[in-house]
Amino acid sequence: MKKIAPRQVLLFLACIAPAGKLVLLPARLADVAKNDLLFPLLLHICVQTAAVFCVLLAAKRETGFCELLENTFGKIAGKGLALLFSAFLLFAALLPLLEQKHFVQSVFYDTLPSVFVFSSYFLFAAFVCAKPLSSFGRVWDIAAPLAAAGFIGIFLLSAGSADLAALAPAGAAGAKGFFRGAASACGWFCDAALLVPLLGKIEYKKGLAWKGALCYLAGGAAVLLFAAVFYGIYQETAVNQLFAFAATAKYFPGVTTLGRIDYIFTFLLSLAMAFYVSLPMQGSVDCVLQAFGRRKVLAPILGTAAGALFFGLALALDYRFGDVLTVFSETLFWIFPVFCTVLPPLCLVLRRPRKHA
Amino acid sequence: MRKFFRHLPMKLWLLLLGLVAFAFFSNDFGLVDIQKTAIILAAGVDKTEEGFALTAQIAVPKGSDRTTGGTSSVEIRAEGKTVSDCVTAIFTETGWVPKLVFCNLIVLGENAVKEDAVAYLNYFLRNDYMPDSCLLAACAGEAGELISSVSAIDDASSLAIEKLFSDAAVKSGRVVTVTLKDFAIGYYGVSKSGYLPFVRMTGQRGGQNDSAAPPAGGVAEEKEQKVYSAEETALFSEGRMVGLLSPEETLAFNLLKGKVFAGTFGAEEQGEPVTLTVVKNDGHVSLKKGPTAELSLSVTVRLCCRGVTAPVEDVAADKVTEEIVKNARETLQGYCEKLFTTCKACGCDVFFLKRALYRSSLKEYAAEKEDFLGRLEPVFKTEVRSMR
Amino acid sequence: MKTVSGDLKKTRDALKKLLPAEDVLLFDFTSEKGLAFTCVFADPVSDKEALGEEVVKPLLRYEGGAKAEEVGKKLAFPELKREKSLEKLAAEVLAGNPVLLWEGMDEGLVAGTKKVFSRAVAEPPTDVALKGPREGFVEDVKINASLVRKRLKTGELRIETFEVGRRSKTAVFLCYLEGTSDPKTVDGVRKKLGGIDIDYVPDSSYLTHFLSSRPFSLVKQIGTTEKPDIFCAKIAEGRVGLLVDGSPIALTAPYLLVEDFQSSEDYFVPPYRATFTRLLRLFALVVAIYLPAFYVAAQLFKLQFFPVKLLLTIAGSIRDIPFSPSLEMLLVCLVLEVLNEASIRMPKYVGMALSVVGALVLGETAVSAGFVSTPAIIIIAFSGIGLYAVPNLIEQTSVLRLAMLLVAGSVGAYGVILATAFILLYLVTTENFGAPLVAPFSPVVGRDLKDSLVKYNLGALPLRPKTLKSPNKRRLG
Repeated sequence: MKKIAPRQVLLFLACIAPAGKLVLLPARLADVAKNDLLFPLLLHICVQTAAVFCVLLAAKRETGFCELLENTFGKIAGKGLALLFSAFLLFAALLPLLEQKHFVQSVFYDTLPSVFVFSSYFLFAAFVCAKPLSSFGRVWDIAAPLAAAGFIGIFLLSAGSADLAALAPAGAAGAKGFFRGAASACGWFCDAALLVPLLGKIEYKKGLAWKGALCYLAGGAAVLLFAAVFYGIYQETAVNQLFAFAATAKYFPGVTTLGRIDYIFTFLLSLAMAFYVSLPMQGSVDCVLQAFGRRKVLAPILGTAAGALFFGLALALDYRFGDVLTVFSETLFWIFPVFCTVLPPLCLVLRRPRKHA
Repeated sequence: MRKFFRHLPMKLWLLLLGLVAFAFFSNDFGLVDIQKTAIILAAGVDKTEEGFALTAQIAVPKGSDRTTGGTSSVEIRAEGKTVSDCVTAIFTETGWVPKLVFCNLIVLGENAVKEDAVAYLNYFLRNDYMPDSCLLAACAGEAGELISSVSAIDDASSLAIEKLFSDAAVKSGRVVTVTLKDFAIGYYGVSKSGYLPFVRMTGQRGGQNDSAAPPAGGVAEEKEQKVYSAEETALFSEGRMVGLLSPEETLAFNLLKGKVFAGTFGAEEQGEPVTLTVVKNDGHVSLKKGPTAELSLSVTVRLCCRGVTAPVEDVAADKVTEEIVKNARETLQGYCEKLFTTCKACGCDVFFLKRALYRSSLKEYAAEKEDFLGRLEPVFKTEVRSMR
Repeated sequence: MKTVSGDLKKTRDALKKLLPAEDVLLFDFTSEKGLAFTCVFADPVSDKEALGEEVVKPLLRYEGGAKAEEVGKKLAFPELKREKSLEKLAAEVLAGNPVLLWEGMDEGLVAGTKKVFSRAVAEPPTDVALKGPREGFVEDVKINASLVRKRLKTGELRIETFEVGRRSKTAVFLCYLEGTSDPKTVDGVRKKLGGIDIDYVPDSSYLTHFLSSRPFSLVKQIGTTEKPDIFCAKIAEGRVGLLVDGSPIALTAPYLLVEDFQSSEDYFVPPYRATFTRLLRLFALVVAIYLPAFYVAAQLFKLQFFPVKLLLTIAGSIRDIPFSPSLEMLLVCLVLEVLNEASIRMPKYVGMALSVVGALVLGETAVSAGFVSTPAIIIIAFSGIGLYAVPNLIEQTSVLRLAMLLVAGSVGAYGVILATAFILLYLVTTENFGAPLVAPFSPVVGRDLKDSLVKYNLGALPLRPKTLKSPNKRRLG
């Protein structure tokens, strides 16, 4: 498979990455930051934009992450660090996965279905993990316009019902609300870290870093816009609306006569999200493969193992999603900035292997 | 071993196909068959001595051999300590799994709304499968009685009541419409106020449903056919019903919200009644320093009819005289004043002015939030224009 | 390798030994000057009239010597070939070309008087056009080649011949435009054709298996057409074409999925109409694949997909149906497939009766008897019609429809979405002869998008599709 084209990276940053922030995050932020929910979002978007810029700049060196680590810290330490990063990605995969599971159970089923119905996702995830990470550029080519169409559709159906004045007064939640909001949102902003395993697989073209940062910012603006509309619709009851993007469009007058036409857009976004949610898992598998090679043998084994691991976790944590949320947003939230904010600029200072004549 | 790995992808595909086929033919992953489902169209919640009573109007499919259209329904009443208990009771008593996803109307009985209405709505607000875009209303008497009544104009009472809240009805300015979400926002917001349409039912003879079949599952029983009206509006403060707006006040309320495009109201000319049609309406209520509420209302009207016979030239001229305009202005201002006085008296911030203050300035809100409504003074700006 | 010797009897016997079949005949005659000739031919496939008139008659009056040139001049026949190898001569006899042997000559003369069995060039039943050319390929590869040559009167059109099939020795013509087709693709096809080791090739579809990068794939990777105008247009775009003897279906490579959404007519109607019909085809296909699946998923798992009035109608219709919604839909779907299959195979008149029986009697009675519900029949009928909007993909889409139905009946709408994601991933990673299957959508090729699901005016398409990597980029102006 060829390298990921710059356009594909940009589509991912502008269209796919924002999709993952439309499910539980707005309600979570409304809970802790109330009507100030846009401020922590803005902070994360700005920080991640800078981090994305750094990773894409590091992509200019056309060297894999593991190779960079091995060259800087030595073979063994490099492999160890790659494994550590892989473990982080596995950790980061848990939240979106469980979020997706609850979203699916609530939006795609009328009554709480058996956990079996979501198990099909793990088959898909195992298949996805066994595929080379670079093959996903082409998926983004198709999934990104679908996600954009889904987002635009939902946004257009929702915008008319929103009372944006509900976002006032700014600062009502105070500094505490802001910092709690920022901490809570950490788990949803690891896009720069998701790009790290792609180092060496991206075909770098002049200006990619800038364009990437701008695209991420554009995607972030869409998330901000959606969060504003979401809060404008639900206001003080926003905290109760756990699956934001599936809920906001139902007040559109046409929905009463035609039925839930907004589900068409929800499906499109869900399709894009299926790929997005599996990305940390794939990244994790890819890091191990980068460190130990033997892709042909290890990829299917690791893919299946990752799928099985998360299936087990989903079963074990089926009724403890609230606890998982608390752990991610109040206890272990600090792990995310370490890998998603500090690591990307560090990629720039990692040593590249010398080219042999 | 090597033999096992030969054609592994194909074997995996076959395994997957087998799994899917097994799942397909045996599927029962918590799904509830459409035939075992009670599709609740509307729910009425009342207060009982024990706690709660829920009357659910359940749609009954007519079967493939039906020759007429319409919706058959059956009403089931259940009691419990919470609304959830009532829902469970419906399930245990009928075997139907109640589904609220199509519930488009919740009616709260008079006794329920005089306590904390939100306690009665709590179940619906928490339920993920309950559409919060569902209409909400209060009613005189028991909600269960209203839901179980036989409508003179539709197969199901809920469908007849929903007609009262149609877009056309809203444009007439005669009713207010409130969804579950709107009411919750009002309750949980800083104003802690809200309003609901107040439904009354009256008997009617010779309605459309005279020849209708008796409700499914029930014994044919002579029931008086009913018609419904929702011209009054119940006012809420901190979840309790604290007052009732008259039809005129309801009209004024809708006019002040600028929602009326085809409503009518009465005025006088030389002591004779005339009816005016609102063709354009602009209104808003804003908060000024003081605290003062500025109630601005502007309507463009045309003559709808007179209470006395008129020469054919007058009919053709369709003239709204200065006197009618003046009288109309006075009438509308009177409605607005009455509306404001009623709201203030019962402590319902129906225009959410406290919320407006909160949104405009946290500082001012902190200073003025105590007894805000009590200190609020109104300024009325009413303008009536005649359509030329 | 056995060769022809100067001894006629010996050669004759050796050849008969190689061709013991009873329909291979040996005809001996002597010229006026006494030179002995033997003509060997396969009775069913040789044109005996041409053989008698143009080969035997002139030779009866032959007065020259035994030299092949002299004999050849006497015949003045355009298709003459000299051959020493007995095996090759035997192969020519089996191909329908009579072999002429005579005393004192160590070579045989092959006369191209093969009997041509072919129906007339007619409009293909699977690709009917309201506007545009109506000619279709036939089973004879030479006629097909002539139809191509008739449209591409350029020396750049290369037609290379291959023989595929150990026993069938099927002639395969590789057609491409020199300087326009990507040499890598041409080489790739040549290599794959050369590497085919198969006994018998009855139809071009056999070759697609060998030419595909994923032979077991559900999705097709080689284009097919029955119309010479489409075939030539594809070659002119830079593709490589294959004509296979005995098959009216020509192959083209590289194949892009979007090709099947384009019809030849799209190029003869205004672009806005072409765009509309292409989008309509896509819509029909999506509906055909997903409608039964979502209908079942909605009934089983999420009633809210239906508006309440529709739900009540459906609930009323299925009230007395003995099957679960998924099983009901599967049965109706299978009945439709059986009806479809049977009506294609049945003789024309019986087929007509069958469709009437299928549509009216079976459907109506099944509903009245309470076996299936009316909505299920409507859904499947709509889906069935949708499938035929893109006839070239029917094999794939009908399987996909069934797969989606199974998934929807098992795990609901989310399963359908995951299955779609899976198919998407599979499609975007499929390439054949260097062209991604889903191009120009993935990877996005801006230039090629102008003639994809949307169709620009001809003037806006001055360049050949970038995906095909043609060395000659410009086709207009």
